[in-house]
Order: sequence, then C-alpha cells, then structure tokens
Amino acid sequence: MLVSLSGRFAATLASVMLLAGCASVPPEDDPVARAAYEEANDPLEPLNRGIFTFNQGVDTMFIRPAAEAYRGLTPRFARDRVNDALDNLGAPLDAGNNLLQGDFRNAGVMVLRLLVNTTFGVFGIMDVATPMGLVAKKEDFGQTLAVWGIGEGPYLVLPLLGPSNPRDAVGFAVDSFLDPVDRIAVNNDAEGFTIARTGVRVIAAREEMLDVLDDIERTSLDYYSAIRSLYRQRRDAEIRNGAVPGPASSPGHFDWEQEMEQGADAADKAR
Amino acid sequence: MLTRRLFLSAALALGLSSAFAVMPARAQGEAEARDFIQTLASEALEAVVAPVPVPQKINHFRQLFIKGFDLPEVSRFVLGRYWRGSTPEQQQEFLSLFSEMTVLTWARRFMDYADQAGGTSIQVTNTTPDGEHGMLVETRVLRPGGQPPILATWRLRSTSGQWQVVDIVVEGVSMAITYRSEYSSVLRAQGGTMDGLLDVMRRRVAQMQAEYGL
Repeated sequence: MLVSLSGRFAATLASVMLLAGCASVPPEDDPVARAAYEEANDPLEPLNRGIFTFNQGVDTMFIRPAAEAYRGLTPRFARDRVNDALDNLGAPLDAGNNLLQGDFRNAGVMVLRLLVNTTFGVFGIMDVATPMGLVAKKEDFGQTLAVWGIGEGPYLVLPLLGPSNPRDAVGFAVDSFLDPVDRIAVNNDAEGFTIARTGVRVIAAREEMLDVLDDIERTSLDYYSAIRSLYRQRRDAEIRNGAVPGPASSPGHFDWEQEMEQGADAADKAR
Repeated sequence: MLTRRLFLSAALALGLSSAFAVMPARAQGEAEARDFIQTLASEALEAVVAPVPVPQKINHFRQLFIKGFDLPEVSRFVLGRYWRGSTPEQQQEFLSLFSEMTVLTWARRFMDYADQAGGTSIQVTNTTPDGEHGMLVETRVLRPGGQPPILATWRLRSTSGQWQVVDIVVEGVSMAITYRSEYSSVLRAQGGTMDGLLDVMRRRVAQMQAEYGL
C-alpha cells in the first residue's frame, strides 16, 4: 500500500518536473496581462502548482489526519503547554536572529524569557515571562536577511515545506542547521530529540492552522493564488513587524486611472 | 519694521488658527471612525447571533455589510486594470457577485466567531489618519480560553460625510490585496476574459448560497 502510494507520488513528481518549465510570459503588447504576471511574482507557477498539489496530497494523507487526531485527543490546555514548550526551545534561535538584526533589546528579552520560562516555567511548558512584560519577538533568518536588505526573489513552493522564496528557503536552511538547541542535542548523540521536536512542531503548527486553511480553501476562487498572496503578505508584515500596507496600494486611495496609463504602477513595485 | 512684525504676527495667528481648526476636525474624525466600527461590529455580531433562521441572519448581515462597505470601490481595486476593459454590464454583474461572495464569506466568519466565543467583543485600540479622507481603526478581536486576540485593522474612507470600510487587514494580511491577487490569477487562467471570471464566480456563489439554504 505504502509502496504503491510512494510510487504514485514519484510518478506525479516526475511528470510535474517534465511538464513544468516556466510560466509563459505574456507578450509586450498585452500590458494588462503583463502587469498581472509581474504582480504575481511567480515565474515558476506551473512547477509551483504541481508541488502545491503534491503537498496537498501529503497533507490530506498524513499531516492533516495527525493534526486532527492531536486536536481530538488533547485538551486546549495541553496544546497550549506544548506550544509554550516549542516556543521556549526556539528562544535561543530567536535571540540570535534579533541580535543579527541589531535589535539588542529584543535579543535580551528573548534570553530573559528563556531563563525565566526554563526555570519558573518548568522547562518552558508555562510561559510565565509574557505576563511579566517580557513579550516574545520571534525572528527567523529569512527575516534577518530581509533586514539586511536582501529581496525575497520569486515565489517558490517547496516540496513538503510549502510556500517560500529563495531568501526564506536559505533562511530556513540556516536556521535548521544553526539552531542552538538542535546543535546541543546532536552533539550529545540525541538526534532522536531533534526528530521528535520537528514532528511535534509540524503537527502542532498544522493543528493551529486547521480552521484558517479550511476557511480559505472554502471561500477562495483559486486556493493556490490565495495562499501565495497570504504568504507574501504575512512575511512582509512580519518583516515590517506588523505595520499595515500603505494607502498607495489600498482601495480608497488607489489611483487606478494612473495605473491604467502606466501598466505597472509604482505602488506595486514599491511593495 | 512695523510691517514685518505685523506680518509675522499675522502669519503666526493664521498658523495657530488653522492648527486649531484642523485639530478638532481630526479628533472628531477619529471619534466618528471609532464609533462607526464599534457600531458596525456589534450590529453585525448581533445579526448573526439573533435567534432567527440562518437565511434571515444572513439577510440582516448583508444589509449591514453592503451599507458599511464601499464595495464598488473595493471591486475596482480588486479588478484593477481589468475593470476598465469591462463593459458596464460586466462591471455591474461583477459587483453583485463579488458583494454576495464577500457577504457570505464574512457572515460565516462572524457566525463561527460568535459560536466559538459565546459573548464576544471587538475592542478599538487606536485610530490613525490615513491619507486625505481615510482613517485606520485598529481593533483587537478577543477570543476565549486564553487565546491571543486577533489584530484587525479596518481601513475607512469618508465620502460625503459617510464612513465606509474599504479594507480589513487581519494580522498584516489585507483582504483587498488578497482578492486582487486571486482574481487576477483566475482572470489570467480564463484567458483574461471577464466572462470566464464571471462564470467561475456565478458557480461559486450558487454553491455558497446552497450551503446556507438561500
């Protein structure tokens, strides 16, 4: 059963690889389609859609059922404790990225959180630091690269990992490799710990997303492009630390007359 | 010398008076926008928790939504370049299908939220002017069981003295930008034709209406 399934996956992936090249670029004399193409920032769309479908298959068969079982078997209180523990294990990496971004204050906050939550919070299962005013500022290396001025590059959907782009993919690889907690575990021959941590992280994250993703899938006309837009906006907001997009690229202020004349407008380029 | 001093004090007086004139107007705008969102949110929640059949809840919610949102403006933003290339009939049909889709989408979200939270609350935390006729109203949508509140920012625009919502930004994600990206993707997949898009929308609206028994 498993063999035939993985065989089918391999076949799907292979056919996707063969069929995919780049999306056809709309011709110069069709400025409307051209501008929409550029706004999507997705030159590898056919390949990305293939991987997206593959990921959905994996999700439907393995990850989603695990997340639903996890939700069904545990009370919210227990899941909150798991999330707090995962956050605490991530705190050293968050501290490092805050430091690399020149945010010394929040790097210090993350170190204090780690100390307080690991001790008074019983190995991190209770986040006692937040009520004390030590509010977490999670940062990953993709965000650090963005702060250093590196652009996102074209949208990418990675097998199993999902929505990304070259900058965030590099960030993810660096974070995975340099995570202090995982380093310590590996150096003490406890690879099992890092594998278990990753497994719990995937299932806990999926559980938190169950309702939101269902809602988006149900209400969107094109789930793939809705997720693409959401991912890019979320990352953008995280990098800007929560600021709302400017009025120039929003309804009510948006100069669509000008946009028609110029094809691609400055507002979108600025985003 | 005298003229110069006169000139300076006149300029100062003018500057001060215009500052005084602007300040209360702005404060008044912020208070109005705050009240508008508070009222809209509580009326919408009341509409979906009312002890009446679902189609009636949705009808009430639809009235509030269509009055509170500048849907023609959002439609133009969402279609962007394609809006101008469409016939008035296509624009009209887009507006009505788009309105119905957003109404049903947000009615469901409000109903789920009200079910989950029992007694519910949306707190206005801040207002900031946004461009010439706009206002950003920041809110915290409180959730039960110690879950962190959701941050939702409402982008308002005032046309002839009446506030209307043009966008909702939830945790940094703009509803209008998401729709814009999605609809232009569907349009491209349909060969850039409005009729193709309208066809996809008609089917989706029918499907959503069937779910509610409308």
